[in-house]
Amino acid sequence: MQRHSLSGPRPRLLALIATAFLASSALAAPPLDQLAQDPAWLTLGHYRPDTLGSGYTSQADDAGFFLSVDGKDSPEAELRATLAAIQQPGDGDQHARCRFPARDRWLRQQLDLPQNTPDCPAFDTWRQELNTETVTLVFAASYLNSPSSMFGHTFLRLDPPGTENDEEADLLLASTISYAADAAAHDSEIMFAYRGIFGGYPGITSVKPYYEKIRLYSDIENRDLWEYRLNLTPEETDMLLAHAWEIREKNFDYYFFDENCAYRLLALIDVARPGTNLLDEVGTHAIPSDTVRWVVDHDLVASIHYRPSSATVVEHYLEQLPPDERDLAADLADGERTVAAPAIQSLPDESRAHVLDATYDYVRYQAQEEDWPRDRAAPLSYDLLKARSRINDAPPLEQPAEPPIRDDQGHDTFRAGLTAGQQGDRDYIQLSLRPAYHDLLDPPEGYRQGAQLQFLRLDTRYYTDNDEVQLEQLVGVEIRSLSVRDRFFSPLSWQVGFGGRRTEIESGKRVFTPYLDGGAGFGWATSSNSQLYAMGTADLEIDNDLDKGYDTAPGADLGWLYQGHRLSIMGGVKSKAWLIGDHHREDIGYASVSWHLDPSASLTAGWQRKHHFDRYETQWHAGLHVYF
Amino acid sequence: MKKIIAGAMLLGASSLAFAQPGCGVGAMIWKGQSGMAPHILAATTNGTLGNQTFGMTTGTLGCNTNESVQSMAMYMDNNIDKIARDMSRGEGENLDTLAVLLKVDEADRPAFRQLMQDNFATIFPSSDTTSDEAVSAIVALLESHETLGKYIA
Repeated sequence: MQRHSLSGPRPRLLALIATAFLASSALAAPPLDQLAQDPAWLTLGHYRPDTLGSGYTSQADDAGFFLSVDGKDSPEAELRATLAAIQQPGDGDQHARCRFPARDRWLRQQLDLPQNTPDCPAFDTWRQELNTETVTLVFAASYLNSPSSMFGHTFLRLDPPGTENDEEADLLLASTISYAADAAAHDSEIMFAYRGIFGGYPGITSVKPYYEKIRLYSDIENRDLWEYRLNLTPEETDMLLAHAWEIREKNFDYYFFDENCAYRLLALIDVARPGTNLLDEVGTHAIPSDTVRWVVDHDLVASIHYRPSSATVVEHYLEQLPPDERDLAADLADGERTVAAPAIQSLPDESRAHVLDATYDYVRYQAQEEDWPRDRAAPLSYDLLKARSRINDAPPLEQPAEPPIRDDQGHDTFRAGLTAGQQGDRDYIQLSLRPAYHDLLDPPEGYRQGAQLQFLRLDTRYYTDNDEVQLEQLVGVEIRSLSVRDRFFSPLSWQVGFGGRRTEIESGKRVFTPYLDGGAGFGWATSSNSQLYAMGTADLEIDNDLDKGYDTAPGADLGWLYQGHRLSIMGGVKSKAWLIGDHHREDIGYASVSWHLDPSASLTAGWQRKHHFDRYETQWHAGLHVYF
Repeated sequence: MKKIIAGAMLLGASSLAFAQPGCGVGAMIWKGQSGMAPHILAATTNGTLGNQTFGMTTGTLGCNTNESVQSMAMYMDNNIDKIARDMSRGEGENLDTLAVLLKVDEADRPAFRQLMQDNFATIFPSSDTTSDEAVSAIVALLESHETLGKYIA
């Protein structure tokens, strides 16, 4: 075109001409104001409808993401500015076509503009180096020990050509794209949780090799990885990369619950395949396991691969050793025997290889978890490796099998419950709503054994005797991590929770009081899916109705937990010694059971008998929990 | 905050250096870095990734070195403990990745795995072996090997 030969001295004028030219000649093309409302354009600009009013606001919090000064709140102004900019003559890294290749591609398709390819050295090099044929969504299972990752994490892996059937080698070198809060390293976990919820962190899209992700999630944090290879076409993959380039190093404020890692990746997939509208699934929160579910439900997944964490592998290795070889492994790790010991050397090659392999992986795991000093870990590890290298052709120990129920196949995370019960001599009906996420009596499959994480659970009771509606409990956060100890692993069990709850005062009245609970202890397996636990606890309640305005109680909680496919059971005794007010003791016996009808519904029942202020009281309830 | 962003970009650059190995990016990154190359069994892989990522000194491996050797050296730098584990067993994805980086054909992979396992103690003479030293030993082993020598030439 003729405009091409001009050297662009008056860009604004040219833009006007371009727009006018376009409006008058391209009759088939939709008018620009209409185009600016196209879902594909709104997705490209990360526009979401305003809660109040009829407009749109972009979630991008970076002036560099917009070409129009009004771009943040006006999809149309941004579209017009983009259209003008991409029709500027010339090219090069600073040209709008090179800065916004996805917008460029989409607009050219919609408006029948010339399809010539601009020269964008930086973008072209980037794309060439990423060398992507297909895209895989990777889900790192939840990790209770850090608030920043309790919900799990998702990122994209860009798979090079020729890796469809080969799950191994090349993929370690593949690049990944992830979106995460750019938290300063010195921020504590509490600070992270606070700013994650209320805002304050910039979110940054970053590209890193997959082996680094594996080291972080699989080796350090011990989280299993699920890899969902997407069925994007080459064009869709190109579009995804082009848009990833547009948002790369652009700031989108990070919010823990909704605008999180998973959310931004959904936007990338929506851009790649217009009409998918994964973002429309997001209501109040985007829990990574939920977002994986949506991706599966939208038929975006071609194949799924499971990559067990280092911890899962080492546990499985140790389980495969016969008891006497397990003892040898423990002795080697403890330094009670060396690899030169006759008991080791006299083993047949294959058994010796297995003992050495399992012990090495266990030593590396323990050195990491328990911070072993180098002078203990390194010589031992080295001896194990050297001895192992002298055994040829020993078949390796088996890798852990893929769990029959994937993380995205567990129960849905929103739970509603309706139960009927009795508190003392008063009958009630209770409605309980919990937006997220999982408790110990929910269907266990797809979740970590012994792990509980609840957010914002609200229990409301209606008492039938006097038609009274009462708030029974509001859980802010409640985390329990019950894990079992054995000869090889000695994890701590712990719990923490805060919120508001009904508590009984001496007059017999039940008052609503804010509380903060914590605890730590140990667990021992009684079978593969049951355990005994013993916890030391500490409770704090603060309320005017309490004797001194607050009270605190050290205590103990001893119980048994069974988590099965059909049935989950929990029962035990608790004792608390309230110290501040009238020095009373509170002793509780409790039992709860859930019968899992299917992953979306459980029948539930609970019983509790309490001795408090020299009187006994029994409470029981029964009802239904549904998950959606 | 800036420091972290810069760190993230540097890590980003590392993947690029991988995808297209060569003097350019790799040498640039290494040049600005000094410090110890990781030991085979460094204390542990701690939570702060990337501290040691570019510890490779340019002394052993200048720009004249074969590009695939450079890629391998960078991968060794990052994954040396896992590579040592795979080598001792004569199998594993990290060992295979090394073969991929050296462009070892499928047909030669078994010989490559065997060579690495048989010479474990030559490649890693002690628990203090650095990734530099291990790379040099691997290169020497391959060079003197009848069929695998071609991947180093």
